[in-house]
Amino acid sequence: MNADDWLRAFAAELHQRRVAVDAARHVVAEAATHLRDGGGDPWLVFGPPQTYAAAIVESIGTTPGPRTGPVRLHARGITKRYGRRTVLRDASLTVRAGQIAAVVGANGCGKSTFLRICAGLVSPDGGEVTVSGRLGFCPQQGGTADFLLPDEHFVLVGAGQGVARGPARRAGRAAARQLGWDAEGDVLARHLSGGTRQKLNLTMSTLAEPDVLLLDEPYQGFDQGSYVNLWDQLLRLRDEGRAIVVVTHLLNQLDRVDVVLDLTSAQQGGRS
Amino acid sequence: MNRLFTVAEMTLRELARRRGVLLLLLLMPLTFWLIRRDAYVGQSIRALLLGISWAVSTAALFATSAARELEPRLRLAGYRPHHLYIGRMLGLWGLGLAISVPFFLLTVFDAANLRYAGIAVAMLCCVAVAAPFGMLIGALLPRELEGTLLLLTVVAMQMLLDPADAGAKLTPFWSSREIATWAVDHTDDGYLTRGIMHGVVVTGLLIVTVAAVFAVRLRRRRHLHHVPLV
Repeated sequence: MNADDWLRAFAAELHQRRVAVDAARHVVAEAATHLRDGGGDPWLVFGPPQTYAAAIVESIGTTPGPRTGPVRLHARGITKRYGRRTVLRDASLTVRAGQIAAVVGANGCGKSTFLRICAGLVSPDGGEVTVSGRLGFCPQQGGTADFLLPDEHFVLVGAGQGVARGPARRAGRAAARQLGWDAEGDVLARHLSGGTRQKLNLTMSTLAEPDVLLLDEPYQGFDQGSYVNLWDQLLRLRDEGRAIVVVTHLLNQLDRVDVVLDLTSAQQGGRS
Repeated sequence: MNRLFTVAEMTLRELARRRGVLLLLLLMPLTFWLIRRDAYVGQSIRALLLGISWAVSTAALFATSAARELEPRLRLAGYRPHHLYIGRMLGLWGLGLAISVPFFLLTVFDAANLRYAGIAVAMLCCVAVAAPFGMLIGALLPRELEGTLLLLTVVAMQMLLDPADAGAKLTPFWSSREIATWAVDHTDDGYLTRGIMHGVVVTGLLIVTVAAVFAVRLRRRRHLHHVPLV
């Protein structure tokens, strides 16, 4: 394990131990600086990531567990059929303010369909969804315009909320920076890499400051650093009181979420 | 109004950056005109009008198809369906007018003894009808290939049908042909009146149909209930 791997493992440990996002970022940056300036094997300098994270937690403490608020999204009895095939059967999910919910399941089990039903983009054959507050949605792919610049996407989304161009651009660039992306360049969306394009997609969905954020596998094409930044951002948004639903097939992230809906069992009538 | 103009502006920006498409949009009417250039002047102008109609319809079809994935999220971002389809239509009308101007000047310099105002009105009719027509096909047919084939069928029908035939009046671009006859052959004003009436009615019908299709596609689904924040 090289220094970068050690730092990533250390950052993940801090997250798992619920160290505040900004404090964790600061501690990781300090450790990185120490390693860069002083050199040496992080295992010898700091010890195992788990041990050092435990020491840090003792020293600076943790954030209190997320204070969950009122229900923001309540989906009940969602059933969806395509022809004779039942994709979703009686699936239900409740997410409160300050919670992250993960929708998991095998390929083709209806994760994206469930999210699109929650967003009101697809009608179910049965069931209903109640949303409190404003909805934001990040599709798995598409959802951007090939021949527009990132700034123009921000202006377009901002205008929907009546936000003027300047503030919309600034808000978009600031949200992009949270994902480790500098969105100021004059690069058309079609020339962005897959991961960067997904960051644009994600930035657009958070721009309107939604109370309920629905993300369909938002990390497609992300490198490891971007992936960490994404979860930093999601945890920050959760701590601000947003309700977040993430479709994922990466089960190693489930320890960071508060609610899990497994649609493999939901197809058979199970619930979260 | 800001939402409408933002959508219109972004439509124009997207199309303006597709230089290959712009070139083909100009090439299409020019080719139609050149092929008929040696024949009777009325034929070249009618072919030019048909080329403009086809070019703008095709641009509208592709712009609508390209926005299919983006529009639902813009709807969630606060846009109403009419902001999206009227905004896009305004952008396409702007594009259509921009590509019509050089062709209007071409007819002014190339052919004498025409009613030029009539040529301008015929071009306006082409652009007015073509934008919602292409949008309607793009909204109804999810795949571009199917839309393009349907557009090709309609334009070919327009080209082959005898304009005096009653069925020809059911084709979307009959108005420009009628007005062009008035402008080129100096026929009576009935041609101009019928042409303008046809153009206005067809444009109106197409806009209403586009509005209905967008309203259905981007409707608020009945299963989704919004409650105020507590």
